[in-house]
Order: sequence, then structure tokens, then C-alpha cells
Amino acid sequence: MGCIPTKLAKHTPGYEDPTVLASETSFSVCEVEALYELFKKLSHSIFKDGLIHKEEFQLALFKNSKRKNLFADRIFDLFDIKRNGVIEFGEFVRSLNVFHPDTPTEEKIAFAFKLYDLRHTGYIERDELKEMVLALLDESGLHLSDDVVEVIVEKTFSQADSKGDGRIDPDEWKEFVSQNPALLKNMTLPYLKDMTMVFPSFVVNSELDEEDL
Amino acid sequence: MTCSSAGKEKGEKVLFGRYELRGVLGRGATARVYLARDLRSGALVAVKSVTGLPLGSRAAVEREISLMARLRHPHVLRLLGVLASRSAVHLVLELAPGGDLHSLLLPPSGDGDSAAPCLGRPLGEGAARGYFRQLISAVAHAHSRGVFHRDLKPENLLLDARGHLKVADFGLGLGLGARPGGGGHSSTDTVCGTLAYTAPEVLSKRGYDPAGVDVWSCGVVLFVLTAGYLPFNHPNLAVMYRSMRRGEHRCPAWTSPELRRLLARIFDPNPETRITVRGIAADAWFRKGLDEREWTAMMRSSPPDHPAILRWKEEEEDEEEAGEEEEEEERGCALNAFHIISFSSGCDLSGLFEPEPADRERFVSAEPAESLLNRVEEVAQEEGLGMRRKGKEGGLSGVLLEGQNGNFVAAVQVHRIAAGLSVVEVEKGGGAPERRLWRERLGPALKKNREANRT
Repeated sequence: MGCIPTKLAKHTPGYEDPTVLASETSFSVCEVEALYELFKKLSHSIFKDGLIHKEEFQLALFKNSKRKNLFADRIFDLFDIKRNGVIEFGEFVRSLNVFHPDTPTEEKIAFAFKLYDLRHTGYIERDELKEMVLALLDESGLHLSDDVVEVIVEKTFSQADSKGDGRIDPDEWKEFVSQNPALLKNMTLPYLKDMTMVFPSFVVNSELDEEDL
Repeated sequence: MTCSSAGKEKGEKVLFGRYELRGVLGRGATARVYLARDLRSGALVAVKSVTGLPLGSRAAVEREISLMARLRHPHVLRLLGVLASRSAVHLVLELAPGGDLHSLLLPPSGDGDSAAPCLGRPLGEGAARGYFRQLISAVAHAHSRGVFHRDLKPENLLLDARGHLKVADFGLGLGLGARPGGGGHSSTDTVCGTLAYTAPEVLSKRGYDPAGVDVWSCGVVLFVLTAGYLPFNHPNLAVMYRSMRRGEHRCPAWTSPELRRLLARIFDPNPETRITVRGIAADAWFRKGLDEREWTAMMRSSPPDHPAILRWKEEEEDEEEAGEEEEEEERGCALNAFHIISFSSGCDLSGLFEPEPADRERFVSAEPAESLLNRVEEVAQEEGLGMRRKGKEGGLSGVLLEGQNGNFVAAVQVHRIAAGLSVVEVEKGGGAPERRLWRERLGPALKKNREANRT
């Protein structure tokens, strides 16, 4: 009834209906609309085409569009579900949903595994772990000798690779994380519960109809 | 399709599929306040629904929400979320089921007609002082964050289940203010009722300082609580204005000299010389029997919205939950490789929500965590900062520093990587005073005996 054609045309390519996204995620309809305000900001920071490019992602994270980072690259690739080099609105909401405080831990564990499985082999391998440790040390300007790094990687593997086959599979990862819950710290963003207050501009643009009040 | 919005069930009122409306708590011309249950958490909340907003005023609404969202204080009614559709804006608010400050005054018989000057039985000065302190702590917090009320009066001063004061509608102006149902009983909320709490400089229609206006209104509230009638009230508005412009009020005979003095300093018609919030907090009547520690805690807001403080809280909770597992990690007493990786700024998506770059610094140290953190705490103590320590020896430990007004100053965490080797991770607050504090005091204290490797 009275179904006015929504202003979809005005939205960016990859825009999806907030009510649909809300039904698939932990976000409410209004939170999705508030996320759209954030998305518009991020996706117009450089290229202004309503899609988040890698440079825009780096700009948002580091306030520097040229700063490369192994982990940011990995996260960008995971957000880019369609693998077309940009993040669309629907991908943005579905991916951020993993970081919602109400999202089940299993999903966070699985996301973190994919993040660290640099070469998509289905396992986290020893050389991948070492590569990541070195990347972090380099990024932080920390100076540790190769011996120390080897010891750290070796020790971690001895704890996580319970089957002892030289690589960490998803089950071993799950077990390891449950013993070290702090490893999932980055996987939850308390912010996501306050979206409607952080980006109240959605009230200006809300396109929802409401029949019960 | 957005046309079939959520929460359209017939009869059963469920807002956006999440808030089940249970009844009306108050209503006005454009706003209604409902009692509601959050179906996700099960908690009871208040929902203030503002309908019929012209599209043009939505920008004002946006501004008001961001002002309100800045506040986090035990005596400020907290905004929990916002819902909006084409036709309405709903504020999801903390529920204050104890009525408003008016209800403290109403005579049990309820026999008085509203025109009578007597509003009800006054409270003793001791009880009034308690509410007044809560009010002033809330106002001080809001002012420190650049938020002003401009319409403080008993209808906006609600009571929670424990009888503690919660100031409602902070930061609301023309957009969502549209007062009449601030959550309380709006029957006595006449134009005159509002004017009686208004500072004289507002009536002169010239520019005014909103901080002084709030102070004046707090004074009227205090007067009403202790006297039982309004300080400025006359059927002839011209007469009423005149007494306001002169600050002429008559205290009841039982008023103590200390309270008279404080009221006289508040009802100073000249906003330039009127007592400030800070002045009130130092006043003799105000401080009578004051528990210093309690007051300091009240003036320091509960955790505000800085992400570093939120994360800190979460971790504290995790730690409590983890309990025994923590000990195990402690024995291992070293971080594993995945912990180390998780320090990467690329793993932390908070930046997506922060307009300013987070100010972080990391360096390696061979010094024990205890002595590093002790030095930080010494400085913090000298500077009068609030501290929260967490963690135990061996594992992760750290200290969070907050300013007097609850602003985030710095978080220092020490992670042990291997025997005799730790990573010190520092996050700094973005304000100018916080930066200065870091540069001049905290930084040098931490890096004594070592050279830092800046990130």
C-alpha cells in the first residue's frame, strides 16, 4: 500500500535495502541506516563513487591513504566478498556484522582464521605465522633478533598445533582461541552498538515507513 | 522494499520489531514518552517519540542527538539509541521509574490547586542538598563537554528506582525538545511554570551565556525544594519579571544563613558576577558534610565514550570471566605469536569510526612491568588523575588514566613477550592538555632509562 518507489536510484551501485540487511545481521534497521551514513563518508573520501577502494580503506584506518599494511590488506580482501577490488555497501554491513558484540564467537573465530590464512590454503602455516610476526615488528619499529622471533613462533606452534603436523587447522585454531580469548579482542567493536548515536545524520535521511504509530 | 517496514503487527505495538510499547508515561503536543521493553535485552526503557517533525528541523535533531550522545554520567538520563522513520524520531532512553522531582514535593492529600503559590511540602536542607549535589555534578559534566540544558526544571529532573536524580533532555533544543512530555507529569507544565525557572537575561532576548542560565535554574530548583514555593512568582508577569531582574526573592524563615548566602549568589541578576558551577561546588552550604571521595567520584563521570576506555572496560570484564584461564597464561608468562600480531594497527578497525588518528606508541622495554607502571602512577597521582589498574604480575598489566572530568588521558599496557622482554603500548588522549601531560610528564617518566622506538 502506498508503496512509493524508494529513492534507490539515488543510492550507490551496491546499495541494498536496510530492512533486508537488518534481517540478516545483528544490526537493527536504523543501525544499518546509520552505517550507510558512515559508508557514504568512507566511500566518497577519495574516489567519490560510492564504493570503498583500498586507498579509502587505508585512509579511514590510518588517516593515510598510502600506508600499506599486511593485515589491513587481508581484512579488505575479506570484506570484498565478491572479489572485485572494492567494498560495496552490502559487503560492508555483512562483514562488519562479524565485529558486532552480539555476533556468535564461532563467526569471529572463523573470520580470524581466514585473516591469518594468508595463502588461502585452509591452514595457518608456520611460515605464514612468521611472516605476520615480522610484519608486525617491522610496522612497530620493534627490534628483535631472528632467534627470538623463531623461539616465539616455535613456542606458539607447539601450543596451537596440537596434532603436530606443522600447520594449524580450523579445529586446532578454535581450541587455541578458546584458551586464549584475548586473541579475539580485535574481532569485537563495541562501537557497533552505538551507531545510531555516532552517526545521527541518518534521521535526516531515513526512508523507513512506519505504520504502527 | 522499505515500504513494508518492520514492526507493523496489528494491535501489538512493537517499534521496529524490537521495542514493545507498554503504555504512555507522558505526552505533549508533539512528543510522547512510552514505557517499553527492549525485546533483545529484556530491559525496560523509555521511548520518547517525536512525530510531525518538519523535515527542515531534522538537522537540528541530528545535532541534538550528537550532543546528548556525548554525555555519560550517573545523573544524566542516558540515551541508549535512536530510531527514525519518515514520520517520527524515537529516542530510546534509560528508564527513570521514580517520577520527577515535583513528586517529592506534592502533599500527600493532593488537595492544592495549581494556582496556589505553595507547590508542596518542602524537603529539609539535608535532603535537598543531596539532590542538589547530584544535579550540580550532572550539570558540571555536561558543561565540561560543551552541552547545556537551558530548560532545567523539576519536570526534567527524574528519579530512578533507587531515588537517584537523572537529568533528562540535556542538549535538546528546538528540534526534539518540544517539551511537553519530558518524561514526567506535564500537567503543571505551563508557560509560567517554565518561565519561573528562567534566568532574567534570557527574557531580555539578548545573547546570553547558557552556563549561567543553567546555574540560575538550578538555584530555582534548590529554592523550590527547600521552600516549597517558587522564588519568582506573581500573577502579574511584569511584577514577576521585575523581581527576577533584581534577583529579589524571599526565603522562608527556617532557611539557614549559609543557604541564604548561596541562593543570593545564584540569583545574581548579572550573569557576569553570578556564581559559577565551580563556585557552587566550593560553597560552604554545598560542601557541608561532603564526603570528599564520593564527590570526586561523582564529578568524574562514569566511563565516557572514548574507545580506549570502552576497550579497557571490556577487557576487565573478560579478565573477570576468564579467571582461571588467566592464571594458566600467567604461568606461561609470555605472549604467543598471535597476541603479538594482534597489536597491528591493521587488525584494529576502530579507525573506521574515529575521525582523528589514534595516538599510539609502542616500544620494547627490559624493565619489569611493575616498576614501569608504578612510575606512571606516581605522575598520575601528582597530577590528580584517576587511575584504573589491571592485570597481575607476569601477564598483561596496565593502567588507565582519566582526567577529573572523566576525559581519557592515557592507557599504558605492558605485554610480556619473553623473559625480560616486554612491549609497552601507550594510547594517548587527543586533547591539548592530555598531549601536554604526555609530553612533559608521562612520556619522560616511562622512558627513563631507555630509548624509545617510535612507531
